[in-house]
Amino acid sequence: MELAVKAQGLDKAYRTGFWGRQVKPVLQGLNLEVPQGVIFGILGPNGVGKTTLISILATLLRPDAGEVAVLGLDVRRQAARLRERINLAGGATKFIWSLTVVENLRFYGHLYGLWGTFLATRIEELIELFELGPQRHIPFDRLSSGLKQRLALAKALINAPQLLFLDEPTGGLDPVMAQHTRDEIRRLNQLTGLTILLTTHNLREAEYLCDEVAFLQQGRILARGPIPELQARLGLGDQLILTFANDPAGLDYSRLPGLLSYQERLPVVELVVDQAELRLAPILAELQRNGNSLTKVQVRAVDLEVLYRELTH
Amino acid sequence: MSLLTEGIKIWAFAARGGIMNRRNFFAMFEMFFWPLVAVFSVGLLTQFLRLDEATVSFVLTGALAMNTMQIVQLDISYALLYDVWSKSLKHGFVAPIRLGHIVLGSGLIGLLRGLVVFVIMGVLSVYYFDMELLRPGWLALIWFLIGLFLMAAIAGTLVISLVLIFGHRAEITAWAITYLLMILCGLYYPISLLPSGARWLAEFIPLTFFLEYFRSFYGFPASVAHPLEWGLLLGLGYLVVSYLLMVLSLRASLSRGTLVKLSE
Repeated sequence: MELAVKAQGLDKAYRTGFWGRQVKPVLQGLNLEVPQGVIFGILGPNGVGKTTLISILATLLRPDAGEVAVLGLDVRRQAARLRERINLAGGATKFIWSLTVVENLRFYGHLYGLWGTFLATRIEELIELFELGPQRHIPFDRLSSGLKQRLALAKALINAPQLLFLDEPTGGLDPVMAQHTRDEIRRLNQLTGLTILLTTHNLREAEYLCDEVAFLQQGRILARGPIPELQARLGLGDQLILTFANDPAGLDYSRLPGLLSYQERLPVVELVVDQAELRLAPILAELQRNGNSLTKVQVRAVDLEVLYRELTH
Repeated sequence: MSLLTEGIKIWAFAARGGIMNRRNFFAMFEMFFWPLVAVFSVGLLTQFLRLDEATVSFVLTGALAMNTMQIVQLDISYALLYDVWSKSLKHGFVAPIRLGHIVLGSGLIGLLRGLVVFVIMGVLSVYYFDMELLRPGWLALIWFLIGLFLMAAIAGTLVISLVLIFGHRAEITAWAITYLLMILCGLYYPISLLPSGARWLAEFIPLTFFLEYFRSFYGFPASVAHPLEWGLLLGLGYLVVSYLLMVLSLRASLSRGTLVKLSE
């Protein structure tokens, strides 16, 4: 498995106070591996070090200690080469106020050494991809938040990066635009196989977007992996809440497929299963075979908030 | 790293500077309003004081030098400050650029704007106040301008260094640094009038010697035998030092997180 990011023993602290004597550790011995081609989420509440981590990986911040390789290149010693192959966007990305959509894209294209017809074609492709055509000559400060976000994503793809960093990509957007941005991110990954490393404190967003996630807490990665794997590791799963019409006495719970745990509060029984959409039909069939009848069936999918609570408490 | 790629990256900052100057009212104001104020206020003062032609040229040389140098220096400083003000700094530095691209690209636009300011002020000084701008000759004039541009590059890179280290707190230096240098270097007076400590400082600033070089053609003796050579030697030395300082400042900014904080 080729890695897009490999960090070992990563430390970063900020010096605060007038003489910088107070030291505030943010990352402490962090280890992280991100495979290529995935959407990988760094999760955690505000102030936990997500932006610090992404800034280090994007060569905008130097780590105090540890080894960090991004796309096989050392972030300290090979930063210039690495910058050719990465790019960055954020939720509240800002560009120079009086430059238009095209001028902003042209400026950043030039910074990657692109020019002439190649750059012009690239800009047109991105304008088309992000549906910015009608706004191409509108200055940045006159664009709506959603259009600014689309421009940020377009700029982040100007150099056809192999790894894209998205820092809180939907921060500050209204719910409709946030969902549209999520769809764009997914589409990009599916269309191009681009590796995307994003930070978010929005667990639903991570659930929707990420192939794998890592939970950050007190400067370390608490847990990492695909969401279903983490669920299984912690014994967390979807809830099936069954209300029985008759007494389910004699029901052999061990025969129910995918069952992680159960709780009886008759006539209600709460089952926790690994994946409700897979297990619901066989469980209902098993109950029917056992002669049980139900008056109500409720499904509650486990969400990352539960996972995060379990991990951090 | 091809020469063409380097040229494109430099051009990025030149083109952006050009657009910003065209679109922003304050840039036009800097280019036309303050130079006009300077040339007329100083020019009228010389008439009130009934100064002779040589002294008028001496005084107006200071006004021309200050406004020309400031406009070039501001353009270099603005290349970074535009990104700081718009909070887009990290998007520039996540790209494979060096500080040299920023200074050279923005310097090109500064050079153009500086030339325009010099020509406007020069024409007005000659026409309204009888300044003998061309008495030193074209070659001396070109060397004087090179000296001013060199000083502007040094001052501009120093401002960039200070902003990279101290962030927003250092922005004010973009406007203050030229005035400070000018006061020390004999803006409207010979440096012999300065208090001894300030005079000692003035002798370490290349601009002192560029002003003395140009004014020597009007009959005002320089404090050293070869002011132009001294000025160039000091200026080139300082340019190298200020560039290195700027590189170190960027490194410090990357370590301390200033670059990221300035983008938030």
